[in-house]
Amino acid sequence: MTTLKAPSARQLLHGFVVLAQKTAQTKLTYRLSTVLTLLASVTAYCVFLLVWLEVYRRNPHPGPVTRSEMLSYLVVAFLVNSLLVMSFEVRFLQRVRMGLVAGDLLRPLGFMLFQLAQATGDLLVNALYAAPIYAVGYWFVGPALLPASALSALLAVLSVGLGFLIAFGVSYVIVQASFVLQSGYGIFFLRASLHQVFSGLSAPLVMFPPSLRALARVLPFHHEIETPARLWLGLVPAQEIPRVLAEQAAWAFGLVAAGELIFSAVMRRHQLQGG
Amino acid sequence: MSTAIAVENLEKTYARRKRRDGFWAGLRSYFSWETELVTAVSDLSFRIERGESVGLIGENGAGKSTTVKMLTGILVPTGGRVETLGVVPHEQRRRLSQSIGVVFGQKPQILWDIPARDSFRLLKAMYRVPDDVFRFTYDEAVERLELAPFLDTPVRLLSLGQRMRCDLAAALLHAPAVAFLDEPTIGLDVLVKERVREHLVEMRRRFGTTIVLTTHDLKDISATCERLLVLDRGKLLYDGSRQGFEARYAEGRTLDVTLESDADAPVRELLARDVEGEELTFDWSVPRRLRVECARAASAPRVTASVLKHLAVADLSVHGAELDAIVTRLYRVGKAAP
Repeated sequence: MTTLKAPSARQLLHGFVVLAQKTAQTKLTYRLSTVLTLLASVTAYCVFLLVWLEVYRRNPHPGPVTRSEMLSYLVVAFLVNSLLVMSFEVRFLQRVRMGLVAGDLLRPLGFMLFQLAQATGDLLVNALYAAPIYAVGYWFVGPALLPASALSALLAVLSVGLGFLIAFGVSYVIVQASFVLQSGYGIFFLRASLHQVFSGLSAPLVMFPPSLRALARVLPFHHEIETPARLWLGLVPAQEIPRVLAEQAAWAFGLVAAGELIFSAVMRRHQLQGG
Repeated sequence: MSTAIAVENLEKTYARRKRRDGFWAGLRSYFSWETELVTAVSDLSFRIERGESVGLIGENGAGKSTTVKMLTGILVPTGGRVETLGVVPHEQRRRLSQSIGVVFGQKPQILWDIPARDSFRLLKAMYRVPDDVFRFTYDEAVERLELAPFLDTPVRLLSLGQRMRCDLAAALLHAPAVAFLDEPTIGLDVLVKERVREHLVEMRRRFGTTIVLTTHDLKDISATCERLLVLDRGKLLYDGSRQGFEARYAEGRTLDVTLESDADAPVRELLARDVEGEELTFDWSVPRRLRVECARAASAPRVTASVLKHLAVADLSVHGAELDAIVTRLYRVGKAAP
């Protein structure tokens, strides 16, 4: 009987890094499209900011967040959000729909790492685009956009990493449905809507009505955006930081593990489309 | 020789939703629907030894691709047992993937937006291909499949033939122990097909690669495989050597006639009347040529005599049916049991 050798961690890491690089290279191929998409979302978000400024103009104290805090928060939240755009989701849905996913299932990296490497490649390119957005935001908001301290910056970077894993985990869990459903686009839009509402992209959760805030707190989405943004701005009390990061880590690893379990279950009964 | 693939009583059934025509039927299907159970593969058993080259043929829907997908581990069987390189594929898919190469025709596996050369480098890293092996497989593919002119062109700009050649090269770059090639020559022109076949033969010679090839082009089989598995509606119709298959099923004869001048319609009718009662197919499509397919070998002498009597013959040969003619007839007559 043949003994097939399992790859070492170093070999897996090498494959992972090269795939992430190639995905980034692929994404850069469509730079004009990416820039236009980014411009569209920046424009939409600017309108959104102007609405908030108008709210503060009419009522300087609409809630427990000051105008300056709100402005900084929204810009940082937008930046974090632009980092975490999961392009792999759409690619995945298309490939499942056309049956192209067959080849992806046969990569020695394993299916989850194969997708994670692609998401990491997307993140690298997103980070490139985030820099000019930050510069524009700084010009608009001023020093309030700087991290509260070096430690805040460090913690926020760590938190963005965990937020990235949460966003990946949510997407990875959600897209498994496309193996079972004939089209996964419905569930993709459901995920996108939940993210839009509960991640804290539109406002920090303290501005939410109590019932929605309670609901948002038990969902993972706020750890994708609100948590890193609040850490960057130094809005998380020092004694709460370990708990917040531990919660993020638990969601991140829990979701990725759940994704793997669901994937194993789905593979037992899925059919590949397209002959 | 050790076993590369062992399959015992393999089965795959799945439920398929029935769709009815029309808007109202579509609307009704939101609330009630019917499903049917489809048997794609049934009671399939065979073994393939290491280094063998096996052609898997059958009509559309015969279960070829489903079988390949179960052998590679991307589909889980509903019954029976399958082992590829000593492991159950769907249980150890990741580990197995290191040692197999797969081409799914019309489903490009290399990255769409970047040049093929970049995809090859990526695969080298992912499959941890040693430098010396890569040097050989890469150079061999570039030379044999003539990839050089478009290696730096993004894959999305390549023609189907160029893309298929890149896909095949990609599947064999890591010199896999088993190559599963699901219609690797689909849509290719004659020259490119020839190059693909040569590449397969060379890879097998150099690395002892076991090849499992599904195709509708039986010249692929003739050029690369010694053994045939013929599937029909998910069941195994024939398992044996290509020559054995030809001997078993080649009941007919083919007459190839070169004429001194074209035969006009009355002469053709006369010939047809003269051999009435025989099961024949006349092919007059090529000028000054006639091909007669005889369903029974016993018809050949009578047909030969009539041809010589009515036509001005420059040359004539009688031979047993070729592989594709046999298979076509098998499909047509409803698959006689072996």
